[in-house]
Amino acid sequence: MEHILSLLVFFPAIAGLLGFLVVKESIRAYGISVSAIEFFLSIILWIGYDGSNAGYQFVEYYPFISSYGMSYYLGVDGISLFLVILSTFITMIALIALSIEKEIKNLIISVLFLEMTMVGVFVILDVIWFYAFWELSLVPMLYIIGAWGSANRMYASIKFFLYTFAGSVLMLVGILYMGFLYHEATGIWSFALPDWYLLQVPFETQLWLFGAFFLAFAIKVPMFPFHTWLPYAHGQAPTIGSIILAAVLLKMGSYGFVRFSLPLFPDASVYFLIPVAVICIIMVIYAAMIAYAQKDMKQVIAYSSISHMGIVILGTFAMNAEGITGSIFLMLSHGIVSGALFMLVGVIYDRRHTKLMSDFGGLASVMPNFATIYGIMLMASVGLPLSIGFVGEFLSLAGFYRISWVMTLLAGTGIILGAVYMLVLYKKSFFGEVVHAENKTLKDLNAKELTALIPLVALVVILGVYPKPVLSVIDMSVQKMLVLMDQKAVVQETKDLLFKANTIGGTY
Amino acid sequence: MLEPILIDVASLNLPALLPMAILVVGALAVICADLAVKGLNRSFLTMITVLFIILDFGAVIGYTGPARGFFDVLLVDGIAMMAQVIILVASALFLPLSLSHRHFRAFRMAEFYALFMFMIVGFQCMVVSDNLILIFIGLETSSLALYTLIALHNRAKAFEAAIKYFTMGALAAGFYGMSALIFYALTGSVEIYQIEKVLMARHFEPLIGVLAATVFMLGALGFKLSLVPSHTWTPDVYEGSSAPLAGYMSVVPKIAGFVVAMRLFEMLVASGVVWVEHILYVAVVLTMTLANLTALVQEDVKRMLAFSSISHAGFMMAAVLIGTTQANTALFLYWTLFMFTNLGAFTMLWIVRHRKNLWDERYQHPYTKFSGLVKIMPTTATIMGIFMFALAGMPPFSVFWGKLYLISAAINSEFIFLAVIIALNSAIAVYYYMKLVIYMFLKEPVTVDAKLYATNASTPLKVIVGVAVIFTIFAIVFVEPLLTVITKYVIASGF
Repeated sequence: MEHILSLLVFFPAIAGLLGFLVVKESIRAYGISVSAIEFFLSIILWIGYDGSNAGYQFVEYYPFISSYGMSYYLGVDGISLFLVILSTFITMIALIALSIEKEIKNLIISVLFLEMTMVGVFVILDVIWFYAFWELSLVPMLYIIGAWGSANRMYASIKFFLYTFAGSVLMLVGILYMGFLYHEATGIWSFALPDWYLLQVPFETQLWLFGAFFLAFAIKVPMFPFHTWLPYAHGQAPTIGSIILAAVLLKMGSYGFVRFSLPLFPDASVYFLIPVAVICIIMVIYAAMIAYAQKDMKQVIAYSSISHMGIVILGTFAMNAEGITGSIFLMLSHGIVSGALFMLVGVIYDRRHTKLMSDFGGLASVMPNFATIYGIMLMASVGLPLSIGFVGEFLSLAGFYRISWVMTLLAGTGIILGAVYMLVLYKKSFFGEVVHAENKTLKDLNAKELTALIPLVALVVILGVYPKPVLSVIDMSVQKMLVLMDQKAVVQETKDLLFKANTIGGTY
Repeated sequence: MLEPILIDVASLNLPALLPMAILVVGALAVICADLAVKGLNRSFLTMITVLFIILDFGAVIGYTGPARGFFDVLLVDGIAMMAQVIILVASALFLPLSLSHRHFRAFRMAEFYALFMFMIVGFQCMVVSDNLILIFIGLETSSLALYTLIALHNRAKAFEAAIKYFTMGALAAGFYGMSALIFYALTGSVEIYQIEKVLMARHFEPLIGVLAATVFMLGALGFKLSLVPSHTWTPDVYEGSSAPLAGYMSVVPKIAGFVVAMRLFEMLVASGVVWVEHILYVAVVLTMTLANLTALVQEDVKRMLAFSSISHAGFMMAAVLIGTTQANTALFLYWTLFMFTNLGAFTMLWIVRHRKNLWDERYQHPYTKFSGLVKIMPTTATIMGIFMFALAGMPPFSVFWGKLYLISAAINSEFIFLAVIIALNSAIAVYYYMKLVIYMFLKEPVTVDAKLYATNASTPLKVIVGVAVIFTIFAIVFVEPLLTVITKYVIASGF
């Protein structure tokens, strides 16, 4: 158990290298097996995780470039544990549902490398390594979109890559500046995150550093107005690329906010709270409106992702335990639900080679199982109580209610708008008469697709009804982080706001 | 009646000269052997030359004598040692590229190898001295040898490149001579440490003279280091040279130039009196940015690599500008890592070189040539992709660690703006490196004939690519020991 995290990070990569030696006929089985083993490893991690302990567990620490303060430093806490499990789970499910035949070997190897970088981002506690994994995750995704996407894939993949890379280079400057500050304060070099948590940064410096980090995270999330790469990427990506992109890669950005921005720069986070919240509300409402106007099923879900991520960031900036816990839970639920929805769109695309809603209609009578699962996922996405989507959204908004009830109300309209565009999508595609002759002969879900989708449905229901085992673990670590923020704050206003946000009934 | 000059041989410290002497002997031996024996094989000549380089390397590493030698014109300090190591390792790795599958006239001539050794001697003279005259001799020796090596390639473009390089180089030599002359006129010495002493004592008066000397020196070294605005020769010369020489030019002459720049400019920057800091700042920012922007619009991979190497030189000049111990360490670390990656990239170009320009009327290596290479030669494409990502500064490959250390050095000396510029330039650079990756991995192949891409491949070339790949991928392992050694040497030389 000591080295389980290293194993989790590098097992997919080693498996990916060995994958070159596997013959083409059995590479799919190989990919599924590897990702299943990886998933079970992450489940073992959860079983071994001590839920009553809020700190980092399974820590591995080896000095790496000690003269410069770099180390190989791994650990998980409640904030990252479930994101790791989400990454491994979604990768496994996506590989099970994979329906591409073209150059499948390269695709599966790319996905395994991508899995390494995703797990790496969530468990690395050394910031330089974090940056390395963060950037490295772009390369397999570029290849997946660019080689297996649809007609305009080249443009979409380059846009995705350059946008995110350019946003990240300033984060590197910020990281190095933090290292410099740490050296100024203590006289030793260190890029270990737990060390940085003990450092009090002057207020003006915090503002600049927050900006440097914010850009990288905001592009990744993606926040308005940096969201323009996402519709392109989703529109052109193959199904597996869309699933992983929506379910895990976007979560890196919101994870970055929770892991870096808030605890490292508490004063700046509070200082920028209102602007960020305004951006989030714009994201929620604006993206929902665009989603309503789309003709393409996949684009609706892509824009709904932006809308939901708005609520995630809003919850993160609620500065209290409910909001942040809720936002992390919403990351998980959005990962599961949007992954499932993209998979379902992929299912129908494989059968009809079109994603336009006007080409469907009346599918419920032709494909009952498909329609049922689609309906469940849609309801979860809208945030129906007793489904997984409700828990996170409710907690995020309830948390932010302490900051400002007006803004919460505005963001709450996002749920209503979400119901509007999702139900319209459902109505156009599934209800009514079958108008197109091609749709009469469509086959319902086959065994492979059911294997991939049933676990997702089960999760949506189980965690929707009983989220406590997950929430309590997250909550422990979030509480610890909030205490840390309070200790680190250098401005009195920040302490006041944290106090107000974390006591009952405080409003702005 | 003149007094007889008595020289004590022991005080000459001849071992300090030994490394250069070995190669001079080697070069003469090769010429003599060629006179005596008809038709020496190129593999024999190559390996003999590599052996002499290895002997030279041993002499450099094993030197334990005092720092000064030979009438005190030689200065064997830490940075001289490191620069020599980089020069010799790069030479030993680039030279075997002559053993390509196809025969080129240049590599059949013994003169090529002799000139190559003389050139290395010139570079070594540049770095192991702080005497402006010996630096000048070294500069000219290496440059003249290099012009001839380029011209030996026997292509119309090669002559053009050699002539272009020669005329510009002659101008730069004139600048250098002028600068040295002014320094001598001001201080009565041609040794940098003496010049520094005198200038400090006089508070850099007369300022106008110091400025004139600095400007001429900037012109001369700017040409050698291809700093904007004296960079225009670079892409044409690279395009005209054979890929091994182009790669060699992107690494070795520059490190020699950087050492001279470190010795001269860091004292001027540190003085704070001369506005050389501002000028350098502008030159560095322009070099990084303009070269990157020009690289964006290139259609030929070799020209793109030429412009990108200008940009990398700009990064390095930033280290000279910052001038702290950490920055100088970053310079050597960066250049060591960059050497291997660039070696790899140019070797790959050499491997896929075809006799005819099948893809484009003008260019040998247009982007379209690499379309869909992953479907034709997956391994080649993957390796080339790794080199491109490494040059772009993607973690965890080699150049990233150099860049990291350099940006860190900039930040630690409060050069925040410079750090941001470097970071943004990395983002720009990603685009043109990615362009090649995209052509190789995402486009459809224009031809399925794999033979067209492997006409020049041979075992030695593959071995060299292997070495470069290992260094590029596992750079993460070498960074710590490299840093330790480099820091020690830099501190020991007082930089």
